[in-house]
Amino acid sequence: MKAPAHGLRKCSQLFNRRKIINQRLTRKFVGIFFALLVGGLMIAIFAVLIFSPQPANSNALTPDIAHLIRMSLIQAALSTAISLIVGIALAWSLNRLRFWGRSIIISLLATAIVAPGLVIALGLISVWGRAGWIADFADLFAFNWPGGIFGLFGIVLAHTVLNGAFAAHLLLARLSAIPAQKLKLAQSLVLAPWQRFAILDWPAISSALPSLASIIFLLTFTSFPIVLLLGGGPSNQTLEVAIYSAVRLDFDLKTAAMLALVQLGICVAIILPTLGSTQNFSNSGNTSSHHWPDRGIVKFIQIAILIIAIFGFTSPLLAVLQKGLGPEFFETITRPSFIKAAQNSLILGTISAAITLFVAIRIAMTMAITRSKIAKAVFVTPIFAYLVMPSVVLSLGFFIGSRNLGISNAVAAPMVLIIANVLLALPFVYAMIAPAIKSIHSRYDKQARALNLSGFKRWQLVERPLLGREIGLALALTFSFSLGDLGVISLFGTAEFSTLPWQMFRAMGAYRNNDAATIAAIMLLISMAVFLILPSLFNRSVKIAEN
Amino acid sequence: MLLRAFFITLLSSLLFASISVAGSDTSQKPVLTIYTYDAFAAEWGPAPLLKSGFEKQCDCTINFVAADSSIGALRKVQLEGTTTKADIVLGLDTSLVGQANALDLFAPHNVDVSALNVPNDWASDNFIPFDYGYLAMIYNKELLPDPPGSFTELAANPSDLKIVIQDPRSSTPGLGLVLWMQAAYGEKSADLWAEIAPSVITMTRGWSEAYALFLDGEADMVLSYTTSPAYHKIVESDDRFAAALFEEGQYTQIEVAGILQSSPNKQLAQDFLKYLISPEAQKIIPTTNWMYPVANIELPPKFAQLPIPQTKLLLDDEQVNESSSTWIAQMLAAFQ
Repeated sequence: MKAPAHGLRKCSQLFNRRKIINQRLTRKFVGIFFALLVGGLMIAIFAVLIFSPQPANSNALTPDIAHLIRMSLIQAALSTAISLIVGIALAWSLNRLRFWGRSIIISLLATAIVAPGLVIALGLISVWGRAGWIADFADLFAFNWPGGIFGLFGIVLAHTVLNGAFAAHLLLARLSAIPAQKLKLAQSLVLAPWQRFAILDWPAISSALPSLASIIFLLTFTSFPIVLLLGGGPSNQTLEVAIYSAVRLDFDLKTAAMLALVQLGICVAIILPTLGSTQNFSNSGNTSSHHWPDRGIVKFIQIAILIIAIFGFTSPLLAVLQKGLGPEFFETITRPSFIKAAQNSLILGTISAAITLFVAIRIAMTMAITRSKIAKAVFVTPIFAYLVMPSVVLSLGFFIGSRNLGISNAVAAPMVLIIANVLLALPFVYAMIAPAIKSIHSRYDKQARALNLSGFKRWQLVERPLLGREIGLALALTFSFSLGDLGVISLFGTAEFSTLPWQMFRAMGAYRNNDAATIAAIMLLISMAVFLILPSLFNRSVKIAEN
Repeated sequence: MLLRAFFITLLSSLLFASISVAGSDTSQKPVLTIYTYDAFAAEWGPAPLLKSGFEKQCDCTINFVAADSSIGALRKVQLEGTTTKADIVLGLDTSLVGQANALDLFAPHNVDVSALNVPNDWASDNFIPFDYGYLAMIYNKELLPDPPGSFTELAANPSDLKIVIQDPRSSTPGLGLVLWMQAAYGEKSADLWAEIAPSVITMTRGWSEAYALFLDGEADMVLSYTTSPAYHKIVESDDRFAAALFEEGQYTQIEVAGILQSSPNKQLAQDFLKYLISPEAQKIIPTTNWMYPVANIELPPKFAQLPIPQTKLLLDDEQVNESSSTWIAQMLAAFQ
């Protein structure tokens, strides 16, 4: 009697194990599928350009590549280092201080990175330029502000405003996720502020630093409109301008693809070590309710940092709002073309945000159970590589590729637009989601398996509640990102289709700078609203789920 | 999960619908497809008025397809080759005509243009001119009462006079400035560039950014067109802006349109080009594209008040195509 029952139990155990293995395999392969898709698309884009039948141009410009690379490296390294330092200092101060309007400041901080770079750069000039706020203020004291914002200083300043605020926002989330028990324990041990930073804060933020640094480096290495606008001339230019001119001026697609590959190669070589690094990430979940402020001189330093940072980061945004919310505001926003563009932007943002989040979560889940460092690097590198993909190369690759496949422009354009949005937002979302998913995996995987949780049920019960804030942030980020820079489909010829950023560029190109300022202000307001609402919405639903 | 999938499908079909509206016309009328630059096709540009004007008389449908720039429109045709849907490329300027001719994509227009009023009597077998303008440094009369009157005066100016220009590799007026300097100074232009460089605050990617910097007060002068002040006078009733005419002369930019060899609608395309240079269509140009019309029509009063340059510089199309890379390189070297 004993033997068959034993056999039956063994059988069902085996069956269960197989089911779990199957589900683990699905978990792994869905992510690998998406990662391969992302990587394959990039290879296809380069192949299409390199093998295009366009003849090489004999009297093309020959750029001084060594000089461009050197300048790009100096500028990007400076921008990254300063952005990170500023970001850490600000996150540290914001974590300790409580004041009225704190949450608005925090959502303002995230807005800069998603706004079109040009908007922020112009806002920066309205503050720091020779006719800007500081110059006006200096005039009151009969002091002549030179407004020397053009040059390396201007580029690094703009990049710090764009990326430092984003870094602060992300790092603050890491700091506020430090569990209350840890804080209480440390508080009872009376740690000095510097000990507290070294023992509690640093481990929490250092896991996020490599991917954050990679993103900022890649963004600043290839920054193009800002570098041209603030760079003050050819001596500060980047490789991106050579790629752009190879396409535009010489129509030499092979050279453009080769230069883009050089750029890609340099960037991958620099960021590769950071991608494979194991991250001892240990905190996730919701804002800890425990508040433990510092005192004395340290608190004074934090307040000083906060005041300087708030001025530095919010003044360009306020300048954009001030210019845009003028008397023509209502006339601009009631125009049918504006309403249509706003609708398109909102639809585009929603679709892109949903897809990006889904893809990022699937890839992150796979990477959480992948042990091989080489496999990780192979799958994750392409995700980040899109940050250094010049937009002209992307748009040409998609255009020629869809023609080769025989897809009509009208069908291809919306797909390309969404794919491009997803690819460009994916690195940010991945960098936000992946560390959290990894820590959830290392903490709860065994329990989940012991409870036989898998598939969608596991997602609902384990990951989804713990990822609340990250999901809200990631959605807000992609949504604002994807309001629709139509550069990538400019070749597809879809004049009737317009989005807010496109309307803004159009207005600027037709002397209508007031209209452009209004649209820029509205885009900023949308991003701010989204950053204010979405994360708290998702955090709240998590709390309900917990109760 | 299902709900989300449904939601995404719904939204994407909405997006598809709104994008593809442009290309769908089921009527049997012939369709004339015109590639042009975005500002020309914009709601406030000339395209909507030209479309309705020509459609009244042709029993056809005009389909304006906007690329980001005129050079973008040409690149699109190059990429599409003989399978292009375009019948006409509209908006190339004289700095691109040499290159466009060398591509062997355009057909002779066979339109009589002898009655047109075009600077330096510019003419071409493949392209008809439809408007023109002169490059100029624009300034604010209240802030800069005594602007430089030549490149040499600009070069000799105290360093606190700042100008903003566009990068010749990414911007049409930026390239025009290189040609302007070349037409005025030839071999000596590299030296003059080096003298002017300290006054240049920055070289922007496009015209828009440079003009925005100027309007914000960051520069005393901006590279634009002699017709730019007309916009401020007519639309904004603002008389403060003016073009500084230079002793060396102003460089001329003529915008042209050409019929593609691959077009199956050559007769219709030719009819459109004839319409484009007719007084009826030309009346639209000054206050939508802010350029001079080529037909002899009466200009809006404030447009007619603009100063006309004494010397109208213009380099040969072929020469521009052959040497512009060299000239750009010389200019960039002077700025390093």
